[in-house]
Amino acid sequence: MNAFEREMVELLPRLRRLGRVLARAPADADDLVQLTVERALARRDQWRVGTRLDSWMFRIMKNAWIDENRARARRSDVFAPEEEGERAGADGAAAMEARLAAREVEGAMARLPPDQRIAVALVLVEGLSYQEAAEVLEIPPGTLTSRLVRGRAALMAQIGETGR
Amino acid sequence: MTAEERLLAYIDGELAAADSAAFEAEMAADPRLAAQVAAHRRLGQDIAGAYAPVLDEPVPPRLFALASAANDRAPRRRLGLPQWAAMAACLVLGVLAGRTLWPAQGPLAARGGALVARGDLDKALSRQLASEDGAIRVGLTFKARDGGYCRTFESAADHLAGLACRRDGRWAAQVTSAWSPEPAAGYRTAASAMPPAVLAAVDAAIAGEALDAAAERAARDRGWKN
Repeated sequence: MNAFEREMVELLPRLRRLGRVLARAPADADDLVQLTVERALARRDQWRVGTRLDSWMFRIMKNAWIDENRARARRSDVFAPEEEGERAGADGAAAMEARLAAREVEGAMARLPPDQRIAVALVLVEGLSYQEAAEVLEIPPGTLTSRLVRGRAALMAQIGETGR
Repeated sequence: MTAEERLLAYIDGELAAADSAAFEAEMAADPRLAAQVAAHRRLGQDIAGAYAPVLDEPVPPRLFALASAANDRAPRRRLGLPQWAAMAACLVLGVLAGRTLWPAQGPLAARGGALVARGDLDKALSRQLASEDGAIRVGLTFKARDGGYCRTFESAADHLAGLACRRDGRWAAQVTSAWSPEPAAGYRTAASAMPPAVLAAVDAAIAGEALDAAAERAARDRGWKN
């Protein structure tokens, strides 16, 4: 395994996390990660050593996700519904509460328009700078900030200030 | 920059130091602004927190294998005859090697026409999880089409990698291949650089997907019985 593959393996958990924001259902998310890794391997010559592999792979994932959505729209598919109770375990009240809160966040994120959702995910979940996120999304910085503002306003309206 | 953009840029650490200080001065004088900042900070933490547990989940073996064994991968397709022939040759070689190179203390022994794991290799295959390090490492664990468990292994000391499946209470080698650990040994993973012959054998034998860490542990604790 060389440096490229080693870095890619180390990135897998983060790719899965971003995939979960985008596709939501865990199986769909992992399919998206698989597609991303396959494309990255096929295009590894295009990655320049010394540049960030995470940004490069996030961009590949973004494009794969857009392609996937287009294909689904053509087939007039809907996203696989998340299996309720799939992650229900026999854990305590605190864990249950945390999971419920997480479900609420996931639901609110899923209702955002896709371009706002991915902008929010890159900055708030992945911790990218505005410039890095704009490069991943291949959009001007001003477009990124306006998507962040609209996305976060919508999230705030849905889940902000709920009894906390 | 609108007021809202400025507020979020402050939270996201995107304001220059002087602008950030100016914003903080405004916040100190304006409790409503301070409350908005606090609410947006909390929102950001809630969103990051909701997805954080994904990082601790085990990565599915198929993704792991795909990303880490990229160098070796021939196109994944069903095995044609030449590949079977190569694997058979490999196994014959393994049997011969078992007789000559590892007469008494080798990792494999011939028993009833099959090559079965013995000694440390038998121990590792029976007890060790993929997450555990050792002189021998176990990679993927899966159920074969005939229902028995199979596991891939790499043994640095024996310069050997292979696939073994549970048959009649023993680990029978399905394929073995010469293998040596990478020179830069600082970092190794379960599926690191598995020889193509072993990957091809996994492809041919696997039913469904490889076991995740929890299923692997459960199967071991049941003694590899179905």
